[in-house]
Amino acid sequence: MSWRVLRLEGVGKDFTRADGGVAQVLRDVTLTVERGAFFTLLGPSGCGKSTLLNIVAGFEEATTGGVSLDDNPVTAPGTDRTVIFQDVSNALFPWMNARENVEFGPKMARLGAQVRNERADKYLRLVGLDADSGKFPFELSGGMKQRIQIARALANDPDILLMDEPFAALDAITKKHLQIEFRKIWDETGKTIFYITHDIFEALLLSTHLAVMTAGPEAGIKEVFQLDLQEPRSPSNPDFAAMYSRVESLIDEEVQRMRAR
Amino acid sequence: MNAGKLARLSVSILVFVGVWWMTSGTFFEAAIVPSPVSVAEKLAEMIWNTELFAHLGASLGRIVLGYALGCVIGITVGVATGAIRLARDLIEPPLEFCRNIPPVALIPLVVSIFGIGEIGKYFIISYAAGIAVLFNTAAGVASTPQIRVRAALCLGARKQDVFMRIVLPSAWPHILTGLRIALGFSFMGVVAAEMLAADQGIGFLIMQSTNIIAPAEMFVGFLMLGTFGLITDQLFRMTIHRLMRRYMIPLA
Repeated sequence: MSWRVLRLEGVGKDFTRADGGVAQVLRDVTLTVERGAFFTLLGPSGCGKSTLLNIVAGFEEATTGGVSLDDNPVTAPGTDRTVIFQDVSNALFPWMNARENVEFGPKMARLGAQVRNERADKYLRLVGLDADSGKFPFELSGGMKQRIQIARALANDPDILLMDEPFAALDAITKKHLQIEFRKIWDETGKTIFYITHDIFEALLLSTHLAVMTAGPEAGIKEVFQLDLQEPRSPSNPDFAAMYSRVESLIDEEVQRMRAR
Repeated sequence: MNAGKLARLSVSILVFVGVWWMTSGTFFEAAIVPSPVSVAEKLAEMIWNTELFAHLGASLGRIVLGYALGCVIGITVGVATGAIRLARDLIEPPLEFCRNIPPVALIPLVVSIFGIGEIGKYFIISYAAGIAVLFNTAAGVASTPQIRVRAALCLGARKQDVFMRIVLPSAWPHILTGLRIALGFSFMGVVAAEMLAADQGIGFLIMQSTNIIAPAEMFVGFLMLGTFGLITDQLFRMTIHRLMRRYMIPLA
C-alpha cells in the first residue's frame, strides 16, 4: 500500500473506572508521522503511551478523533502495521520453534512453502539467529526472543512497525546491542517505526523524530522534535548531551506536575 | 528409571503388601481382609474360568464409550463457554451448580429414568468425565493471553485462524489436564454405576462379594481397578508426551 503520512488527529480515549466513573487517559493527541521516519513517543510511565499505540494498531478504538494512513481511516488490526510487544514470552507462540514463528505471517498470507522458507531464512539471518531456527522460545534468552519477534514482524513485510518498549525488559548489555542492531535494521529495511519508550537515552539514540508526552491523566503531546543529531550518535557528542538535558527537563516538569496534583 | 529410584519403588510396594499381609488375620479378620496369597489364588482362579474377563470387559467397555462421549461433549461445550461470552453467561451457572453433585448421587435418578440398562451407566460416566473436561477446557480457552491473539491479528490471522492456531493450542495443556482427570473420574463413575444396578462389571463384582461373603473377590476387584487405572493413566501420559509435547511446554 502506498501512503505518505500516518496521521493521529485529536485522539482521545476514555476508560470506565472500577468505581463507574470515567477516566480520560488521552486527550486531543495530534501527530503526523512521515513514511520512513523513526518516530518515538516518549513519556513518563502511565501516561497512556501504550493505549495510543494500541489505537494505532487497531486493537482499541479512540473515543474521539482517529488515526489514518493518508485519508484511509485505521480501525482494525492489519498486516500493514505489526506490533512488537515488550512481553515477548506471550507474544511469541510457545509451541512453534523460531522458524515457525517467523513463518506465521507468510503462512497467513497463504504464501507457498518455498517463499516462506526464503523469508524465514532471510530475516532469521538479519537478526543473527539463523543457527537457532529450530529452537523453541523457552530455549532462547530474552534478547534472542525479541530478535525472533522482530524477524517475525519483518517477514510479514509491514509498512509500519509499532514498538511498545521492546527492549525495556532486557538487561543493560543485551539492550544496548539490540538498540544498535535495530537501528541498522531500520536503515536497511526503511520501515516506518512508531516507537514507544520512557528511556530518553534510547529515544535519542534511535529516532529521527521525538514526541514528548505530558503526564496523565488527560495526557497529550507536550513537544515534538526533529532529531538531526551528529552521526554516529553518541552520548559524548555535544548535541546529543544538550538534547538529553532538554528532554530530561521536559519530563521532569511533567513528573513534578503529576506529583503536585 | 535409575537404580535408586527402582529400589525406593520396590521398598514402597513391599512395605504396602507387607503391612496388608501382616494385618490380615491379625488386626483384621481374614474373612474381611483376606491375605495377599488368597487374593492371588482367587485372581488365578477367576482368570482360569474367564469370569474376570467378563467383568473387566463389561467395565472397560462402559468406560471407553462413556469417557469418549463425555470428552466430546465436554470439549465442545467447554470451548463454547470459554470463547463465547453469551454461551458462558447462559451455560455456566447451572453447570457450576451441577459440578457439586457427585455422579454417585445421581444414580437413583438415573436408574428411575433409564432403568438398569447400559444407557444409564454411559450417562453416569459421561457426566463424571464431561464435567471435568468442560471446566478445564473453558478455563484454557478463556486464559489465552491477549497479546498472543493480538500478535496473530497483526500477522494477518483471520478469526478462524486465531481460534484454530492460537486459542486452541494455548488451551491444549488445560484440555489435556481435564482429559486426564476425567479418565480417573470415569473409573469412579463406572464402579458407582455398577454397584447399584448391573449383573457384570468390576463394581458389580465388589458389591456382590459382600452378599455371597467372598472377600477375596472384592480384593480382586480392587486390584483390577488400581491396575487398570494405573495402566490407562500411564498410557495417556505417554501418548501426550509423544503427540502433544510442544503444546505442553508452557507447563514444563
